[in-house]
Amino acid sequence: MIGVFREIPRREIDLKPRLLALDNTIMNTFVSPEKPLNDISPTPAAHAVDLHKIYGTGQTAVNALANVTIAFEQSRFTAVMGPSGSGKSTLMHCMAGLDSPTSGKSFIGGIDISGLNDVELTQLRRDRVGFVFQSFNLVPTLTAAENLTLPLDLAGKKADKDWFDYLVGQIGIGDWLARHPSELSGGQQQRIACARALINRPDLVFADEPTGNLDSNTSTGVLSFLRMSVDELHQSIVMVTHDPRSAVYADRVVFLADGNVVGSLEHPTADSVLEQMRNLAS
Amino acid sequence: MWRITVKGILAHKMRLALTAIAIILGVTFVSGTYILNDTLHSTFASIFSNVYQGFDFQVRGVAQLNDAGGAVRNPIPESLLPKIKKVPGVKYASGSVIGYAQFVSHKGKAISNSGAPTIGVSLALNSHISYLHVAEGRMPTTSNDVVMDAATAQKYHFKVGQQVRILLAGPPRTFTITGITRFGAATNLAGATLAGFNTPTAQSIFGETGLFNDIYVVAAPNANKAVVERSIDRILPRGVDVATRQTVVNEETTVIDQGLSFFSTVLLIFALISLFVGAFTILNTFSIIVSQRIRELALLRIVGASRRQVFSSVLLEAAILGLFSSLAGLGLGVLAAIGIEVLLRGFGISLPSGTPVIAARTIVVSIIGGMGVTVIAAIIPAHRATRISPVIAMGGQQSDSLLFHHRFIWGAFVSLLGMAALGLGLVLSTILFVGIGALSIFIGVAMLAPALSRPFANVIGSFLVRTLGVAGKLGHENSMRNPRRTAQTASALMVGLAVVSAVAVLGASMSGTATSSVDNAVTANLIVSSRTSSVASVGFSSAIPKAVSTIPGVVSTDMIYGGTPLTGQFRFRHTLETLESVSTHHLAGTVVLHIVAGTSQALSSGDLLISSSTSKSDHLSVGDKVPVKFALTGRSTMRIGGIYQPNSLIGSYLVSNSFYLHHYQNPLPTAVLLKTNGHPAVQQKIEHVLVPYPNVWVQTRTQFEKSQLAQIDKLLGLVYALLALAVLIALIGIANMLVLSVFERTHEIGLLRAVGMKRRQVRTMIRSESVILSMFGAIIGIIVGTGIGIALAYSLQSSGITDIVVPVPSMVAFLVISVLLGLVAASWPARRAAKLDVLAAIAAE
Repeated sequence: MIGVFREIPRREIDLKPRLLALDNTIMNTFVSPEKPLNDISPTPAAHAVDLHKIYGTGQTAVNALANVTIAFEQSRFTAVMGPSGSGKSTLMHCMAGLDSPTSGKSFIGGIDISGLNDVELTQLRRDRVGFVFQSFNLVPTLTAAENLTLPLDLAGKKADKDWFDYLVGQIGIGDWLARHPSELSGGQQQRIACARALINRPDLVFADEPTGNLDSNTSTGVLSFLRMSVDELHQSIVMVTHDPRSAVYADRVVFLADGNVVGSLEHPTADSVLEQMRNLAS
Repeated sequence: MWRITVKGILAHKMRLALTAIAIILGVTFVSGTYILNDTLHSTFASIFSNVYQGFDFQVRGVAQLNDAGGAVRNPIPESLLPKIKKVPGVKYASGSVIGYAQFVSHKGKAISNSGAPTIGVSLALNSHISYLHVAEGRMPTTSNDVVMDAATAQKYHFKVGQQVRILLAGPPRTFTITGITRFGAATNLAGATLAGFNTPTAQSIFGETGLFNDIYVVAAPNANKAVVERSIDRILPRGVDVATRQTVVNEETTVIDQGLSFFSTVLLIFALISLFVGAFTILNTFSIIVSQRIRELALLRIVGASRRQVFSSVLLEAAILGLFSSLAGLGLGVLAAIGIEVLLRGFGISLPSGTPVIAARTIVVSIIGGMGVTVIAAIIPAHRATRISPVIAMGGQQSDSLLFHHRFIWGAFVSLLGMAALGLGLVLSTILFVGIGALSIFIGVAMLAPALSRPFANVIGSFLVRTLGVAGKLGHENSMRNPRRTAQTASALMVGLAVVSAVAVLGASMSGTATSSVDNAVTANLIVSSRTSSVASVGFSSAIPKAVSTIPGVVSTDMIYGGTPLTGQFRFRHTLETLESVSTHHLAGTVVLHIVAGTSQALSSGDLLISSSTSKSDHLSVGDKVPVKFALTGRSTMRIGGIYQPNSLIGSYLVSNSFYLHHYQNPLPTAVLLKTNGHPAVQQKIEHVLVPYPNVWVQTRTQFEKSQLAQIDKLLGLVYALLALAVLIALIGIANMLVLSVFERTHEIGLLRAVGMKRRQVRTMIRSESVILSMFGAIIGIIVGTGIGIALAYSLQSSGITDIVVPVPSMVAFLVISVLLGLVAASWPARRAAKLDVLAAIAAE
């Protein structure tokens, strides 16, 4: 892990002047929704209160989330990190309304999603949330362009031509719009997935290990795009990752272990993330 | 969503192709049946309107007892003809008679087109009225002249001027062919052979001297037809009426349509069985496709597809597949119509051919039927698709909701409901309930099947492991990986084999009953009967009984009448029934009636004997008086003189010959039972006497039994041939499922090959999976079908099926055939699996 971390090329950090300008102080404070750290907006893009999730029953029951209270601020890029089994994916699934918590509430843009039925959740996902996953992001039978506009097609809406062109320009796949996913590289596919997540101008994008299947060069393209969307489009992004190289692109890193939030880091650097992870491991 | 669906179909062309075949075959059968039906209808309609071109009115006896077989009309007096001719506005009038006349070929064989009528008619000399066109030669003028239909002349090489022997109700006679006739463009009338005589000759040979069956009338060109019709009607006595040409054409067409609709209904039942089996294949394919697309569907759910959208997308896919398959099936239906006709001809049912007619109804029914079955079968997989958790797209796990328990309870419930419906249908003899019951049982058992498949596969599996080693073991494990899928695939075969087995039980019971009926009812050692058919239906010359009874060595003779059409009808209370008769003189020597109540002596006093099943169902006992009606003699009351044990040979209603001859118009004997002194020479002597009657043969009791069984076997053969399609569709289902499984397990097969599995072992693995599937389906099907067959046979007791027989050798044969066909179905998937490139397979996700 450390070895991998050290290989981060300097160039990548150069791509993020805003990040460099920020203070690198480690902030070990817990985040609470009542006191948002970022003052751009009073309502967080998403937040959870006392989120509890147990898998299985009886002897085999596993506490995936133990009373997690957390907020993801608007127009910020938040990374969620933690070792395997720390509950980071469960947290994301519950907060995105893909999985229902055992107890507790989660909110997207102030809406309590724990009370929504499947139709309402589907609409919420379609209109207000974007998703990027580790793999299998695209429908294999559709072309790149069709995949990009899929959420709009499902909602029966027309794509905004300028917005579409802008996103296509940003991800640089203009030449391959008519191609099928199988004819595209992993990086290209993932960038289309990122652009698709933004096509609806969602309140929030959830990215689950978006670079998990990519090499470091192609990872850069994907992460830069996400960073750009926060910087220039004021997009709110939550990214689950176990890779410190990805985490440094975020404005803030939240650390999870054994279903608990165990730390938070504003304006992470490679060193500070590594330091924090080392602390968690010990 | 439309785009995703269409692209999905295009991407899964190969996967859907085999499923499409299942639907195409079913729809082909349906549309083929309709096309055949409509083609025959239009052919007959055009024949009739051609045949009946010449006249305006038909004067005939009033229909006595109407029935699906056509009305029986009594002859009218000849003396009406001059009176009608005198009616103002009548230009021509001519009487005609009809009766039995059968040609004998040059080789001495009685000519009959597989049971179609052999008709003799009188021909009017007036060519304006005659419905026959003499295409060659001239009309019959003397009592030695005959004209022959063109089809018979062509087939049996008869020419104008040649002699031909004709079998008649009386002794056979030889005539000279003076002409060849046609019916418009047709060479014969729906397979019937036709002999045309001049009117006095026809009257004398049909025993209708001084009588006509019909009088045909042509109105003067300037006459008001309605007025002419009323004027004719005014002079007609009671019991005679007049009909317009159009009415006659419609009547004849209706009779044909009723016959056709019976055919069509039977064929449609088999077509529906095929579609039903196809539905299982569709259900299975869509289930597999849904499970293979699970991540894609989850992805769609995540990016905002609602459950409704996912549901409709699967159904839309089914609808599109159904539409295209139905269209293909419709096209193939034309070929199928020809195929069915050829098949029926092979089994001795010949039909006239015409230009295929594709009616709008055929198109609508085929498309709605094909699409409907596909969409309905896809509902379960579509519903399952909506239950896919979106988390799966993110690598999450589906929290498995085990509905296994519920399925089991529902399966048991549906099966029981089906049995109840079947029972009800059999008791009330309502075919609809029987059908619904059988379908429910099939669906219920299919729902129970996943629970049964594991223990079953374990038994077969342990055998496969012992004989085939690791490949057999893997095949077994694969078949158990998804019990529901295994059960669905096997269920299609289950339905096919259940129907086959039910038919086998019914057939064996009929055969058993036929044998025991003969043994129980007949003490005669020789039986004279018509060659062309079983005992009833076609009669023969009444000269025969006289001829054979005088042969030395014949101890006693009994003549049987009954079942011959057109000679009369018998209504018992409110329904038309078949009446049989025996002579009372030598009854004891030739026929045994197992009398339950009353006495057989009552026959001689004109009483009616009924079978015990009739007495039970109608709550009748000896001495009761029942209202009856005869076509010839009208209403009457009959006393029940005796009740006998049911016997299919005798039927349910029995009277004496003298009574029968009095109430039927010139009936023909259908069998002569002979008790001899046992000397083999007697049979030879009888055969010698029968030489002039090639339509009749003499058989020992054993020979007679055998020919009866041959009839049943022929029918069974036809039914099996029609069911073969359902079994074929089930096998396509197995092949389809295996292909999809191989596709799904590409990576795994690559792995197995990489660690040293031989190609041969891969093939063995797939084949053993198929053997488990087909054996499973076959065994359940045979068990279910045997049960249904026994229930059917039991319910037909009143119709004379007294012995219920389960043909175990046939069942074993079905099982063996199923397994062999299962191996055939596996051959392509197995080859495909064995051919997989190891490296590419491992790389596959």
